Amino acid sequence: MNKILSTVAILIALSTTAHSAHPGGTIYAGVNGLVCDFCARALEKTFGKEEAVESINVDLDEKTIIVHLNEGHTLDSKIVTQLITDAGYDVRNISYGE
Amino acid sequence: MRLLLLFQVVFGLVLVNPSFGIARPVSYPGGWTLMTMNDGDKNSVHAHYSPSAKTSIGYKFEYWRDKELTLHALQINRLMKRWNRTESQGNFYIKSGVGVAYSDLGVFDNETGASAFTGIAVDWEDRRRFISYENRFTDIDGIDDFFQQSARIGWAPYQGDYGDLHTWLMLQIEHMPEANEEHTVTPLVRFFKDVHLLELGVNNHNKILFNYIFRY
Repeated sequence: MNKILSTVAILIALSTTAHSAHPGGTIYAGVNGLVCDFCARALEKTFGKEEAVESINVDLDEKTIIVHLNEGHTLDSKIVTQLITDAGYDVRNISYGE
Repeated sequence: MRLLLLFQVVFGLVLVNPSFGIARPVSYPGGWTLMTMNDGDKNSVHAHYSPSAKTSIGYKFEYWRDKELTLHALQINRLMKRWNRTESQGNFYIKSGVGVAYSDLGVFDNETGASAFTGIAVDWEDRRRFISYENRFTDIDGIDDFFQQSARIGWAPYQGDYGDLHTWLMLQIEHMPEANEEHTVTPLVRFFKDVHLLELGVNNHNKILFNYIFRY
C-alpha cells in the first residue's frame, strides 16, 4: 500500500514539474532602454503579435523580458533581436531555456 | 524667492544644454495615442498613429484663448535618435505640422490662414528621474507667428513594478516671449497606470494644468 502511495506521489510531483515548464520553451532577453511601463507595453504588443508567442513577462527591475513560446514554435535570436529593435529598444543578451 | 531661484537654475540649464524633452510623441508600432493638454494658454487635442517606433502621424487641434486662435493641423513626429542604456533612455524628436488656423482677435474677424509649425523635443529618464525640453515655432500666414519652449524635471518618489500606479512629481517651466505672462512655472503631479497618464498642476499665475493621455 505504501509503495502504491509513494508511486502516486512521485507521479503527481513529476506531473506538476511538467506543467510548470513551457512546452514551447522560454526566451530570456536583456533589453536596454527598458525603463518604464510604456516601454514594457511596447514590447508586450510587439511580441504579442507573433504566432509563436504564448505570453510575455516584463521585469523592469532586471530590465529583461521572458517570452514563453507555444508548443511546436521557435523564435531564433535574429528574430528576437529584430522584434526588440522594431519596438525601439536594444538587445543586451538572449538565452533560451525550458 | 526660492521658486525664482529654482526657475533660474532650471531655465539656465535649458539654455545651455538642450537635453530635455516632454513626452513620448511616438508610440510603439501599430499604437494609437489620444492626448488632451490644457493649461493657462490653450486647450489642445492630438490623436496620432505610429506605423513604426520612429514615426507618428496624426491630427492636432489647438485653441489659444488669449489669441482667440484655432488651429487644425496634420502633425508628423519623427524619432531622430534614441539612446538606450541599461538603466536609462534618451530621445531626440522633431515634431512638425501643417494645416489651417483662424483668429477672431481684434482686426482678425474669423480670418483664416495656412499654418505650419516645427520644433524639437529631447528627453532623458530612468526609473526615478526625468528631464526634458521642447520648443516650437509656429507661423500662421497673415495672422501670427510665435515661439514657445518648455522644460521639465521630474522625480518619482517610489519605483513601481510593471502595472503598478506610477507617480511623478514634476516642475514645468515655459517661456513664450510674446505672451503677457512670458514665464510660467507649473508644479504638477503625474499618475501613470496601464494605458492612462494623467497630469494635474497649478501654475504661478494660478491657472490649472490638466493633461490626459490614452495609448492603445
